[in-house]
Amino acid sequence: MSTQEERQLSDLLHRVTPEPPRGVTVEDVAIRVAGEAVRSRRAYRQPRIRRGWAGRGRAWVPALAAAAVVAVAAASAGVATLLTSRGGPASPASGHGSTAPPAPASASASSPAAGQRPAARPAFPPRPVAGAPWGAELINPDEVAQDSLTAGDGSLYAVVSGSLDRIDPATGNVLRSAPYQSAPPLVGPPVVAGNTVWAVWSYSGRSVLLHGYDGTTLAPLASVTVPVTGWLPATAQGVLTAGPDGNLYLAAGGAVAVVSPSRHRVIRQIRVPAPVISVAVAPDGSRMYVSTSATGQPFGLLVYDLATGTVVASSTGSAGGGGNLVATAGGVWGTAGSGMSQWTWFAPGGNLARSVRVQGGAGGGLASVPTASGGAVWIGGSRTLACASPATGAILASAAIAAEGGAPQYLGRVAVIGGHAYADYQGDQAGRLGVVRMTPPAACFG
Amino acid sequence: MRGIDVPPVEVLRVEGRGGEPDGFREFVAARSAALLRAGWLLTGDWAAAEDLVQTALAAAWPRWESLVRQDAPELYVRKIMVNTFLRWRQRRWNGEIATGRLPEAGGYGDVFAQVDARQSLLAALDRLPARQRAVVVLRYFADQTESQTAAALGCSVGAVKSHAAKALARLRAAPGLAELMSGGVTS
Repeated sequence: MSTQEERQLSDLLHRVTPEPPRGVTVEDVAIRVAGEAVRSRRAYRQPRIRRGWAGRGRAWVPALAAAAVVAVAAASAGVATLLTSRGGPASPASGHGSTAPPAPASASASSPAAGQRPAARPAFPPRPVAGAPWGAELINPDEVAQDSLTAGDGSLYAVVSGSLDRIDPATGNVLRSAPYQSAPPLVGPPVVAGNTVWAVWSYSGRSVLLHGYDGTTLAPLASVTVPVTGWLPATAQGVLTAGPDGNLYLAAGGAVAVVSPSRHRVIRQIRVPAPVISVAVAPDGSRMYVSTSATGQPFGLLVYDLATGTVVASSTGSAGGGGNLVATAGGVWGTAGSGMSQWTWFAPGGNLARSVRVQGGAGGGLASVPTASGGAVWIGGSRTLACASPATGAILASAAIAAEGGAPQYLGRVAVIGGHAYADYQGDQAGRLGVVRMTPPAACFG
Repeated sequence: MRGIDVPPVEVLRVEGRGGEPDGFREFVAARSAALLRAGWLLTGDWAAAEDLVQTALAAAWPRWESLVRQDAPELYVRKIMVNTFLRWRQRRWNGEIATGRLPEAGGYGDVFAQVDARQSLLAALDRLPARQRAVVVLRYFADQTESQTAAALGCSVGAVKSHAAKALARLRAAPGLAELMSGGVTS
């Protein structure tokens, strides 16, 4: 090592290269040795063995396989059960003996960096919520941020006063918790893509920062910095979504950035002629819906052909808002209004000229946000809770949310797991907030 | 084509505590972490790194006594690792696609800064041709000499010097790496 630069590189490599999550054992290697020998024996059985080597191969390859198996058996009684006495794999579970590399170790393996287990607290028995529909019961009493609840792979995820929590839908218990402090206030719920939960960490200035957490342990997996084109509108809401192609779509000013969750980088930028408020991708991946902001004007809605990245339709709303887009087979849903009155609209085919207002919406500074979950679209708010057809927008079932002591109660984003609907809840009484579990009527799952 | 390239069976006679050659278990216990880290630098993926290390150790197993006599087991294992890596790259084989990187050790304090640093490092290494990457790992992580690196790669010392110089130039131009090299993030 001669130059300072070489020393710096050497230091960097030693400093930044992490410790492996697990080591290699002699048993791992013994299985590999046995597998190689078995493959060699199979190769020997092929009729194409070259003359001159064939005889020699016949003499020792089977013996090599047998010897290797003896070695494996001696090295580990446990792994020896994976192999027959002839050295062939006895079970398809013996993947290490195959030519394929070992599958990645499960992300749920214990890790020092895994999301912290929350401090034990007394069990919280479910409590009925008076006035709330569909047998609503409060299963978790934490300060869940409004419209931060989402579901993925059998778990609920929510932002709770400075942390991202993974919640057991059966008990309401917090299973894992990771530090999370979004600034400015939440611009959308976490998004589950595969076994990774992605959350917007910062949404201001010249770049947007996404953080990815392991869906099981909430261990930090990656961060992606996305450059902003133009500027980020203050009304941005619902800025991140996962497409059916597995990629993330992020509203990043005057563009939508397509982020590969596996490569941790922006793989495509689709320019938009105005700052983007929200983005959604059709379930079949063919269309992208983008709502845009214009100062003093109603929001706009653009429909993009994702294959070509070109606009195929555009329309304009009749009010402000335009956040929280959700795409379904029949069109796109979003919110309009602000302040003391907000509601959800549905635009068939992405045409706002044909849009309809859905249900009563919300007042008092609360949102009315659509979500698509469990095969239906759910519209929460402070007046009604409804489920609707994702194809036609027709209301399938609806129930009033009664006020409590003259003050509204609120049921926010609905997420469905196993026939139950979960929503973040706010009541007027102190301490009356958290996650509720409901049992919607069968019509919602039509 | 030489037919089946495996050693004679007699070297696989069962010996040592658990069937493996004498000293093999101790070597694996002592060096597997460092070898895995080198594998991670080569491939950017723990599963592929593990595959590389297992492949190399499996190749070393039947030759172990000879390698120990030459006092070169680790050099040999690294040689197999880099040559296996180069073969994979020649075949454009990238192994199984991991759905995400495994959680890594460390506290929460600056864990994202660490993750960022690792991503920057891997992104910079990804920009290197395979042989330059192998030279970087052997020379600057495994601290091998130029002649040892040349022997591992089957090339001349001059070629190693050339690969190293070109790799340094590319790494110097990689976004964010110059700051890291001058002492940015600690793990």
